[in-house]
Amino acid sequence: MLSNSYRLDQTEQKTIEFYFNHEKLIGYDGEPIAASLLANGIKTIRTCEITGENRGIFCGIGHCYECRAEVDGVPNVRTCLTPNREGIEVFSSNPSLNKGELENES
Amino acid sequence: MKVDVAIIGAGPSGLTAAIEMIENGLTVAVIDEYYRPGGRLLGQHYEDPKAAPDQRVWNGKNIADQLEKKARGLGVHIFTNVTAWSVSEKWKIHLSHPKINMIVSKVLLLATGSAEKALPIPGWTLPGGISIGAAQTFTNLHRVAVGEKVLIAGIDPLSLSVMIEMKNAGIDVAGMVLPPISPASGNHHTPVQTVARLKDVAGLAPNSFIRTFGKYALAWFPRLIAHALRFNFLKVNGVPIHLRKSIVRIEGSEQVEAVILQSVSADGKPVGQAERMEVDAVCLSAGLYPLVDLAETTGCTLVDIPELGGVIPLHGPDMTTTINGLFVAGNITGIEGAKVAIAQGQLAAVSILKSLGKNGSITVQEAKMEMEKARIQSPLRFLPNIDEGRTKLNKLWEKEGVI
Ligand SMILES: Cc1cc2nc3c(=O)[nH]c(=O)nc-3n(C[C@H](O)[C@H](O)[C@H](O)COP(=O)(O)OP(=O)(O)OC[C@H]3O[C@@H](n4cnc5c(N)ncnc54)[C@H](O)[C@@H]3O)c2cc1C
Ligand code: FES
Repeated sequence: MLSNSYRLDQTEQKTIEFYFNHEKLIGYDGEPIAASLLANGIKTIRTCEITGENRGIFCGIGHCYECRAEVDGVPNVRTCLTPNREGIEVFSSNPSLNKGELENES
Repeated sequence: MKVDVAIIGAGPSGLTAAIEMIENGLTVAVIDEYYRPGGRLLGQHYEDPKAAPDQRVWNGKNIADQLEKKARGLGVHIFTNVTAWSVSEKWKIHLSHPKINMIVSKVLLLATGSAEKALPIPGWTLPGGISIGAAQTFTNLHRVAVGEKVLIAGIDPLSLSVMIEMKNAGIDVAGMVLPPISPASGNHHTPVQTVARLKDVAGLAPNSFIRTFGKYALAWFPRLIAHALRFNFLKVNGVPIHLRKSIVRIEGSEQVEAVILQSVSADGKPVGQAERMEVDAVCLSAGLYPLVDLAETTGCTLVDIPELGGVIPLHGPDMTTTINGLFVAGNITGIEGAKVAIAQGQLAAVSILKSLGKNGSITVQEAKMEMEKARIQSPLRFLPNIDEGRTKLNKLWEKEGVI
């Protein structure tokens, strides 16, 4: 059971642990990754490749591609329609949001 | 994979059509890019005052779950998380699926629904700036608040309905304002024009309107709104509806921090100083349009009928298009509510059955009548002149359609 202020009600759904830019977070199994992020108060999912501006969900239904992220190594995954699962690793495509750790890895 | 009928879109129209067709002897596959079937039904949750007392609560998610269960139980192949990129010949549907990258079918039914128009005001791409449809989905389906203090830009039947849903969920909605009013674009968002359109919202009248305004709300609502023009705002469910204020821009460095609002006269001219209001989310509502991307790849004739929401595939009263073996149903044919989409799915299905020499559970004529009934019973009307639009479409079809 999650008690986060962004959750509108408490349910008995199965919780999972996943990672966003290396940070361990909790979400519900099977809900879209974008919903888990928002429930943790996270609105910025990536930065724009061209302008460097922050981006987050817009349409919530797969049309706008604003919510893209790298999920378990697959780039440009729409997080608003990709179910969350135990242990998933999500990265903003842009290194500046990855707390500098991408530089160490590359 | 080979089937008699491939359906793109597992919304109410696609799922209803699938059930009718498999029950009458056809093999059916449904493809949807969302992670679960149901389409726009999934986010819908409101009270319908026109329905019978035991059916007052319209819980779209439950209806979607029932349709999905029934369809799967009957053997409909439902593929979710799969996008149909294009279609070729008759019919090869190209998919973004790791294992099945193509479906081959005799008949193709496009039930791709509708999408939201953009409201590109300065700052709208900041995280926290989201579409009204996203607000509906996150509130009612995912049950996650889109912000701690939310402003809605765009006053229309859909945004009013979502505002009430958010309020009921305990979200702080700071108010509703008009979209930007620019003399250059000659737009349709002056207070007077907005009120004229809102008169139609009486048909929506969710329970809370009735609770707020008493038993006569249905009759009174239009007059109440007209009245509100003389004041600064009208309160619905404790939320101020600023019929005389428009949004100028959204501000914030990392994400949404505030909005700049401007008071306007009844005909849309700025009055006095702009003001700043701190919010952390802005929901933008600019209307819906039929999603015809995939229809375009079939080469069927498209027509622009503003009364139906924009460009749609030219189609006949029985949901046939200008291409043999290509049918349409739901919001791709014009923006209407879920009940109409369900009836259109049924109609398209019996038409398809007939085209393949089979009988449906009802006749095409009966299905047409059911659709008319659904149109009358719909609690939510998105466009005021749907009937005019349908008449226009039928004339075009008689002139240009191939039967
Ligand atoms: C934001 C929004 C809010 C709405 N709110 C209401 C409401 O409160 N009440 C109401 O009555 N009506 C509402 N509607 C109208 C709604 O469209 C209808 O109620 C109904 O859902 C239409 O059914 P449909 O079957 O035509 O399409 P939809 O329900 O829209 O379903 C279409 C499906 O097709 C899928 N799809 C589209 N293209 C592809 C592709 N290329 N590949 C794979 N899958 C694809 C989509 O993922 C979607 O699941 C709303 C519409 C929108 C856009
Ligand atoms: S928010 Fe638009 S595609 Fe995900």
